Amino acid sequence: MNILTIENLSKSFGDNLVIDQMSFSVPKGSIFGFIGKNGSGKTTTMKMILGLLKPSRGTIEVCGERVKYGQTDTNRFIGYLPDVPEFYNYMTAYEYLKLCGEITGLSKKTIKDRRIELLGLVGLDHNNKRIGTFSRGMKQRLGIAQALLHEPKLLICDEPTSALDPIGRKEILDILATVRGKTTVIFSTHILSDVERICDHIGILHHGKIILSGTMQEIKKYYHQDSCLIEFSNIHDRDRFLQATTIENLESSTTTDRICVILKSQALKRMMQEIMSEMIRLDIVPVKIEILDPTLENLFLEVVK
Amino acid sequence: MRPYIVFTKKELIEYGRTYKFFILFTIFIALGFMNPLTAKFMPKILESFMPEGIEIQLPPPSSLDSWAQFFKNVTQTGLFVAIIIFSGMMSREYEKGTLVNMITKGLPRQTVILSKFTASTLLWTLSYWTCFLITHIYTMYFWKGETVLELATSTLFLYLFGIMLISVLLIGSTLFKNSYGGLLFTEGFIAILFLLKLSHKIDNYNPLQLANQNINLLSGNLHPSKLKSPLFVCCTVIILSIISSILIFDKKQI
Repeated sequence: MNILTIENLSKSFGDNLVIDQMSFSVPKGSIFGFIGKNGSGKTTTMKMILGLLKPSRGTIEVCGERVKYGQTDTNRFIGYLPDVPEFYNYMTAYEYLKLCGEITGLSKKTIKDRRIELLGLVGLDHNNKRIGTFSRGMKQRLGIAQALLHEPKLLICDEPTSALDPIGRKEILDILATVRGKTTVIFSTHILSDVERICDHIGILHHGKIILSGTMQEIKKYYHQDSCLIEFSNIHDRDRFLQATTIENLESSTTTDRICVILKSQALKRMMQEIMSEMIRLDIVPVKIEILDPTLENLFLEVVK
Repeated sequence: MRPYIVFTKKELIEYGRTYKFFILFTIFIALGFMNPLTAKFMPKILESFMPEGIEIQLPPPSSLDSWAQFFKNVTQTGLFVAIIIFSGMMSREYEKGTLVNMITKGLPRQTVILSKFTASTLLWTLSYWTCFLITHIYTMYFWKGETVLELATSTLFLYLFGIMLISVLLIGSTLFKNSYGGLLFTEGFIAILFLLKLSHKIDNYNPLQLANQNINLLSGNLHPSKLKSPLFVCCTVIILSIISSILIFDKKQI
């Protein structure tokens, strides 16, 4: 079952077409990485899902209900963490969560229980300082707590890790990983290592369109292009190796960087055999031969080319 | 109903913790004391500033002078401070983006407007009537036995005029993302009221009369029934302002 379905969504600001006929869906229980360059339309899409922006065309459905701009009932399914969450600085984290809970219409007891549980989860329990004194990482964590307060079916996080230091990033990712299974998460970012760490589904946004989407494994498999890195002990060895006719005849692309060579091919096994037999023939002992895993970064750079 | 109470409470906490209520209330208390004292001691003060040999004849101060000070100070200083304090009602929330969380949590948009109006009107009510009470007690003390006419009506008129300015400010603040926008909008509204004074016909309906005919009411030069039309216009402006603020905010991208 899909928690979120977007069909033929378009949005333009004046003449500027930001989202162009976008369609994709997010299955229940997944952590969906929404990847795109800065300004590719990630935040715009999220705001339309929340009913904060009016789409120019197309439909959005959350849990089978259509999103309407302005008065949005669908927001009861959604928890939202904005890219830079802003709170009332004169309140404490505890008071802010109480305010959120009361607005959502939770019972007093639920609010109390959830507050204690969530502040513990994000590590802000025993903090009685006003939000105005919080660091960015603390605000981001409070943001997750308020987004999870009403146990939403869908958690939307807009670049939750982009402005944080490595420790802050790890904390946020760990919290997101703990809600896996209970809540579906959409997580926009341009930090690909974060996506690789926790997402199981991804969608790549480019020029207002989803140009690639699916599960992480599927995508990696589909775009599988094996590459092999060889490090030589000196440049002389490298050149001798590259000039060998068998290597020149290999159907592959080659990149060289001083004493390292990266060879790419669709047929890994055959390539490896030829590389090794060639090395024995030329009497070259390499420092290292390594089969490289396909990374999301290479994939991203390839599809947005 | 619950979101309305919750959000109004949040507004009141905000005015309290950001010292806005403190500033407003202190100024109105100070004005409350100043009104009768200035009226009482003005002749003596003026006398002490006069060069020797020159004498001025001033009539002895009366309770009417004290109330004249009240209406002058509240319209010129009190309302001015109140407008500045309330000017960021909506725009500050836009600027900081703090409403996004509230709206996505399911807070109805019209509740935001109604709560903002309620909280600011409550503050205005408390400050205004405290100021009134202090002036009233001291005036009775200094000028025992002296009475003025239509005191309740006259002060109520100015009170309503204040609420009208708050409601107009609410539209301005909802329209603009910058707090100066709301301020200029309200100033523009007041400027129009002053311009309307030029035409006798329209001036009969001008709500500005509620704020500048008060002394004439107290001294008996004007009967309250003459201000029926301005009163009607004032109440209409309040209601229309709240409705239009709600409609504007419904369409606003936050």
